[in-house]
Amino acid sequence: MDRRDFIRKSFLYGAVTGLGAASIGSLTPAFAGLRPNNVKGNYDLVAVRGNNLVAMFDRAMREMGGMSQWVKAGQTVIVKPNIGWDVVPERAANTNPELVAAVVRHCLEAGASRVTVFDHTCDNWQRSYRNSGIEAAARDAGARIVPGNFERNYRDVTIPGAVRLTEAKVHEQIMDNDVFINVPVLKHHSSTTLTIAMKNLMGIVWDRRFWHRNDLHQCIADFCLYRKPDLNIVDGMLVMTRNGPRGTSTADLVRKNSLLVSSDVVAVDAASALIFGEQPQNVGYMRIAQEMGIGSLDLSQLNIQRVNM
Amino acid sequence: MNLTHLRKIRIVVSLIIFTFLLLFFLNIHGKVIDPVAEFFLRLQFFPSILRLTALTFAISSLGFLVVLLLTFLFGRVYCSSICPMGTLQDIFIAIARKFKSRKRRRFVYTPNKKLILRYSILSATLLFWIFGSLFLLNLLDPYSNFGKISVTLVQPVFTKGVNTLSALLERMDLYILAPMLRQSLPRDVIAVSVGIFGVIFVLSIWRGRLFCNSLCPVGSVLGLVSSRSVYRIAFQDEACTFCGKCERVCKAECLDSKNKVVDHGRCISCFNCFDSCSNNGLYYENMLGSRKAIPVKSTENKVEGGKRAFLLTMAGGLLSVPVLKKFAKAQVAASEPGMIPTGTSLPVLPPGSVGYDHFTNKCIACYLCVGACPTNVIVPSFFDYGLEGFMQPKLDYHKSFCNFDCVRCTEVCPTGAIKKLDRDTKRITQIGIARFMYESCIVTVDRTDCGACSEHCPTKAVTMVPYNGLWLPEVEPDLCIGCGACEYACPTEPYKAIYVESNRVHKLATPLPEDEGPRDHDQDEFPF
Repeated sequence: MDRRDFIRKSFLYGAVTGLGAASIGSLTPAFAGLRPNNVKGNYDLVAVRGNNLVAMFDRAMREMGGMSQWVKAGQTVIVKPNIGWDVVPERAANTNPELVAAVVRHCLEAGASRVTVFDHTCDNWQRSYRNSGIEAAARDAGARIVPGNFERNYRDVTIPGAVRLTEAKVHEQIMDNDVFINVPVLKHHSSTTLTIAMKNLMGIVWDRRFWHRNDLHQCIADFCLYRKPDLNIVDGMLVMTRNGPRGTSTADLVRKNSLLVSSDVVAVDAASALIFGEQPQNVGYMRIAQEMGIGSLDLSQLNIQRVNM
Repeated sequence: MNLTHLRKIRIVVSLIIFTFLLLFFLNIHGKVIDPVAEFFLRLQFFPSILRLTALTFAISSLGFLVVLLLTFLFGRVYCSSICPMGTLQDIFIAIARKFKSRKRRRFVYTPNKKLILRYSILSATLLFWIFGSLFLLNLLDPYSNFGKISVTLVQPVFTKGVNTLSALLERMDLYILAPMLRQSLPRDVIAVSVGIFGVIFVLSIWRGRLFCNSLCPVGSVLGLVSSRSVYRIAFQDEACTFCGKCERVCKAECLDSKNKVVDHGRCISCFNCFDSCSNNGLYYENMLGSRKAIPVKSTENKVEGGKRAFLLTMAGGLLSVPVLKKFAKAQVAASEPGMIPTGTSLPVLPPGSVGYDHFTNKCIACYLCVGACPTNVIVPSFFDYGLEGFMQPKLDYHKSFCNFDCVRCTEVCPTGAIKKLDRDTKRITQIGIARFMYESCIVTVDRTDCGACSEHCPTKAVTMVPYNGLWLPEVEPDLCIGCGACEYACPTEPYKAIYVESNRVHKLATPLPEDEGPRDHDQDEFPF
């Protein structure tokens, strides 16, 4: 980052924070005091139930006050869906491609100068990008797709305050873009019970084996200290309730017909867990995140907008 | 037809075939390249014969008959046009010419006195084959060696180039060239490839197509046919002025311009001689129509010698059958109870390869599958299969794993060592079974959750079961297909806590449940 770039970004960050705070202040005065500083949007969390995922997302963002709450004209955006597996969209092991495309469209409509999509996939990256339908959908919506499976794209970072994961290699796109939007899919997970927003961040680091070797739950919580996504959009439409995270057939899925949007990665995980049918306190990394003060699992303190469509 | 055109046609055809095969080996494929390259693959001599033995009977396995027919008609055009290794040698020869003095460039006729050596090598190759080892064939076959060189020497350079360029473009914010996964090749395999490359390189710049007329088993076989081919290059007595130009351009060193004799067993039908002669002193003689085969007669004597040598060495080889048999037995005896190596000592074979015996008996070690595998899980082995399967490929789960839905290797294999599988069959083809090492697992040792193995398992043969408040892996062998996703993902070092034990004979796993579609939701309201 050169100096000009730095100045430009600092200005933008300042402007975003200022505008965000202003809008929160003006629209939801009653709850402003309870909200963490990084949370933007009209609500802490918007949850929508319905049959049309894209329409549900449009509605959720309207409730939130629009993507412009997060994305300002000229900013660059990194969208991180779950593209972990070489399976077709019907199997819901990856984020729904239409949802990813809708997120891209909202960003561009808010004036984003560039939207980038990537994931560090588990299966072969080109097959996963292609067969998940996400590559084509995101590209058609105007995003660019970059690879996430090459070490040269990762940079060393330190994570202050982390218990086990004190350093990691993070994908450069996370650092080089202004806004970070996390678009996970809600799924059962064989080793962490659930994978939602926090767990989806394993797809922006290089060495996942380190996490598995060094107390997986602790590492997932630790990594939130490096950087929380600015916005989390959880695809809870078709939910894999068993045999996750890859699934073996469509019979593993349940139509939960839900979508959740929040700036708070812990809160959105807690709410999604309940939709899945699991108590958040029972999920190791969520419990640890709360204990470490990264976020709260107590949804009663949040300003939640619930919409049935 | 003007005979001088033949050389140009040969050059064009050989370069087309060479280019398509090289692209295919470098895994550059598409709608045009794939079918054309596959057609050229079918014409490769020994792969085609192996294919016939592997796939019982298929039209696509009869390429070698086409080659034999072509050779019977026109001589060894296979060696000058179809064989990619032949073309590679021609390229070396052409490059070397630029650095050689006028005098050093010349080829000189060498009387073929070493027939016994040539046919001993062929006999030994075939005898090894008959007794269950492709060791010599895989070391000498030109197609196999072309593949080895392409995949183990050229492809890494190509990948490096693509990735460097891709990184440069990325710096300019252009994501238009996808980077390639780097192949991790064993050093000993690279060393053998470098050796083969070196031998071919040195022989070709020193003595032209010497390899083709000494070590090459295809050249030796086709030499027996070409000496009796219908069309043979012959001298036109009246026109020839003994200038010797033809001899100087004869890469096979089989043209004796002083005595006006062509050794058709060694002639590779490159047609350089036609082009070199300003006097039409040579012509393509139809031996069926012509009776004045004086020069050919003396050649035939030589060839008779070749045949004799071949028969003699074959007979000698057969006498040594008991010895060889014993040797071969020592290599395959593990099929008896209690003698199968445990652990990872038996390499995991690609899906479609039926089993250990089928695979090691059919694989020509050309590494087409190695280059084509999108996950790079197929790697060349060295002595993992013993001498009988020297350098044949295996699956290495330390670097990658076999993609559940991928059947690429089964599509490209030219010999039928890896038989074609449709996706549904591939999904239940059990090439090995995962074994869980309880004492090595993170969960039992560190008492923290991990489950990387189960996470990656495409059939959920590896599931997680409750264990002291944690989740512990458990393997259901009937569901396991041995794809190695668990072994690859397992984070323990230096030994994995879950690994795939190869199936000596591939089996079928229990199919996955049908896609019954999602169940309906059970909540009507938000649970918060």
